[in-house]
Amino acid sequence: MAALEGFLVASFLLSCLTSTSYGVSFSSLQKTIVVSASHQQGKVLKAGEDKITVAWSYNNSFPAGTDSAYKTVKLKLCYAPISQQDRAWRKTEDNLEKDKTCLHNIASRPYSHSNNNISWTVERDVPTATYFIRVYAYNSADEEVAYGQNTDAHKTTNLFQVEAVSGRHASLDIASVCFSAFSVVSLIGFFSLEKRKAKSSQQK
Amino acid sequence: MRLGNMEEFWTFGTPFLKYERSLARHFKLLILNIKPLNSDYFQWQLLICGHFIFRIAAVSGAVFARVAMGTACDLFGPRLASAALTLITAPAVYCTAIANSAASFLLVRFFTGFSLATFVSTQFWMSSLFSSKVVGTANGIAGGWGNLGGGATQLIMPLVFGLIHNIGATKFTAWRIAFFIPALFQTLSAYAIFFLGQDLPDGNYSQLHKSGDKHKDSFSQIFYHAITNYRGWILALTYGYCFGVELTIDNIIAQYFYDRFNVNLHTAGIIAASFGLANLFSRPGGGILSDIMAKRFGMRGRLWALWIVQTLGGIFCILLGKVGSLGVSVAVMIIFSIFVQAACGLTFGIVPFVSRRSLGIISGMTGGGGNVGAVLTQVIFFRGSRYSTETGITLMGVMIICCTLVIMLIYFPQWGGMFFGPSSEGTTEEDYYMSEWNSAEKERGIHMASMKFSENSRSERGKRVGSAPSPTDGTPSTYV
Repeated sequence: MAALEGFLVASFLLSCLTSTSYGVSFSSLQKTIVVSASHQQGKVLKAGEDKITVAWSYNNSFPAGTDSAYKTVKLKLCYAPISQQDRAWRKTEDNLEKDKTCLHNIASRPYSHSNNNISWTVERDVPTATYFIRVYAYNSADEEVAYGQNTDAHKTTNLFQVEAVSGRHASLDIASVCFSAFSVVSLIGFFSLEKRKAKSSQQK
Repeated sequence: MRLGNMEEFWTFGTPFLKYERSLARHFKLLILNIKPLNSDYFQWQLLICGHFIFRIAAVSGAVFARVAMGTACDLFGPRLASAALTLITAPAVYCTAIANSAASFLLVRFFTGFSLATFVSTQFWMSSLFSSKVVGTANGIAGGWGNLGGGATQLIMPLVFGLIHNIGATKFTAWRIAFFIPALFQTLSAYAIFFLGQDLPDGNYSQLHKSGDKHKDSFSQIFYHAITNYRGWILALTYGYCFGVELTIDNIIAQYFYDRFNVNLHTAGIIAASFGLANLFSRPGGGILSDIMAKRFGMRGRLWALWIVQTLGGIFCILLGKVGSLGVSVAVMIIFSIFVQAACGLTFGIVPFVSRRSLGIISGMTGGGGNVGAVLTQVIFFRGSRYSTETGITLMGVMIICCTLVIMLIYFPQWGGMFFGPSSEGTTEEDYYMSEWNSAEKERGIHMASMKFSENSRSERGKRVGSAPSPTDGTPSTYV
C-alpha cells in the first residue's frame, strides 16, 4: 500500500514536471556566434549529393567570459520564411521547445572559440525548400544559451535552395505510361466486345 | 427472378455477393491515402487543397461524377458504367507513381477521386439485382465493405510500402512502386466486372436493348423525373449529414486526438482507422435493420428507423465534442461511428424506392449530397480557428439533428410517411411508379420494368398487404 502511494506521488510529481517544463525562449538568446556558409554550384543544392561548408566562431565584440557556459554547439538547417508560408508544421515559435523552424540537424560539436568548420553533404531526406543555417550553443544542462546564423535578423540574405530527391526512375515512368495505355485500350476493347455480343444475340 | 427473401439471398446470392465484394473492395482501394513518409514532402497537397477555389472544383467534380455515373447506369447499365469509369481512372493511379510536384500530385488525386463514383453504380446494381425485401441489406453490405476498404487501405499501404522498401528500393522510390498495387487491382477489378458481372437477373443491358426486352431510355426524361422528385433532394441533404459527417470525421479525428489528448501520431492514426473499420458491420447493420423494419412496418418503418438512428448519431456527436477524457472519448467515438454508418445503410434502404425510372440519377444525387455535406461541414466548422475542434464537433452534432428533421417531410402516397398513413385515395405502387411514364411511352410498352418493380415493392406496405387495393389498369403480374 505504501509502495503504491509512493508510486502515485512520484508519477504525479513527474507529470507536473513534464507539463510545466517550458523551453528556452529564442528572444532571450544572444547572437554571439558568427556563422558563414558557402557552397559551390551556384544556388540550388541537390539533396544527397552536394556539399555545404559551414564555418562558425565566437564574436569577440561581446564581453569576454560570455561564452564560459557554452559546452556544445549544434548546427541546424532552418527554413527561410518563404518556405514557412502556409505550412503550420514549420512555424517559428519563440518557445524553442515548440519551434519548428530548424528541423534538420547538420552536426553536433564541442564548443570551441574559433576555427570551426565542417563540410556537410546535404542529406537525402531534406525536402525542396529555401534554407539558412543556424548554430545553437548549449550549456552543460543541454539548454540553448546563444545562437548564430548565416543570415540577417529578417532571414532574407544568404539563403540557399535545396532540391529534394525525387525517386523517379525512367523504368517507373515507362511502366506507368504502358499500364495506363493498356487500361484505356482494354476499355475500347470492352466496348467493341459488348457491341459484338449484343449483335450476335440479336441475330439468334 | 429477383433474389427474394433472406434465404435466397444467402444461398443463391453467393455468386452475386462474391463480385459484390470485389466491387466494394476495389472501389475503395481507390481512396488512396498515402502515409506521409516524409510529412514535409507530401504536405504540399494540404497547401494547395486549402485554396478555396480548389475545394470548390473538387466538390463540383465529385458531385458531377456521381450524377453522371447515375445517368450512365440508367442508360447503359451498371456493369459497363463501372468498368468504364474504373479503367478510365486507372491511369490516374498509375501516374501517381510519377508525380513530382504539388500541381501534378493534386491532379492525380483529383482524377483518382472520380473513381469513387463507382459507389453509385454499386448501389444501383444492388438495387437492380436484389428484391425490395433485401435491398437494404445488399446495399448496406456493398457500401459498408467498400468504405471499409478505405480504412483498410490506411493500414495496408504502409505495410506494402515497408515491404517494397525492405526488398531493396529506397524510400523515395518505394512509395512510387507501392502505388502500382492498387492500380493493378483496379485494372483487374474492371476486368472481373466486365467478364463476370451481369446487369440484371435477365441479362445485360446491351443484349436486352437489342432483343427488345429493355428499351433504351431518354436522358432528358430520366433527368426530369429525377430532379422533380423532392424525396431525392431530401435524401441528398440527409445523406450529407451521415456520410458527409463520416468523411469529415475521417479527415479531422486523428488530428483531434493528437492535439487534444496528446497521444502519439501512430496511436491517433489507429484510433482514426477504427472509426472507418466499424463499417464492417455498422453499415450492413443499418441495411439489415432497414429490411427488418420494412418487413413489419413497411416504408414507414424504414423512415422512422433512419430518423431515429441518424438523430442518435447526432446526439453522440454532440457528446463526443463535450467529453474530456481519452478513454470515454474513444468509446463515444465508436458508438457515434456505428450510428452514423448505420444511418448511411438505412438511407440506401430508402433510395431504391424513390424512383424506378431514374434510380441511377437519384442514387447519384444522394451520393453527391454526401460529398457536399462533407465539404460544407468542414468549411463551416473546421476551417481556420473560429471554433476549436471540439466545439466544431459538437456543433456538427447539432447540425446533424437539425438536418435530419427533414425526413419527416418524405411522404409516399402509397405507403405513407413518418406521421401520415397512405393516401386515402387508395394510391397504389403502380400509380406511383407509372406516374414517371407518359401514355405514349406506356403504349410502346417500355414501362414494363417499372411495372415489375412496383409489384415487387408491395412488400413496403408492411404487414397490411392483404387489405391493399388492387392495380387499377388490370395489367397482369409479370413475375418471371
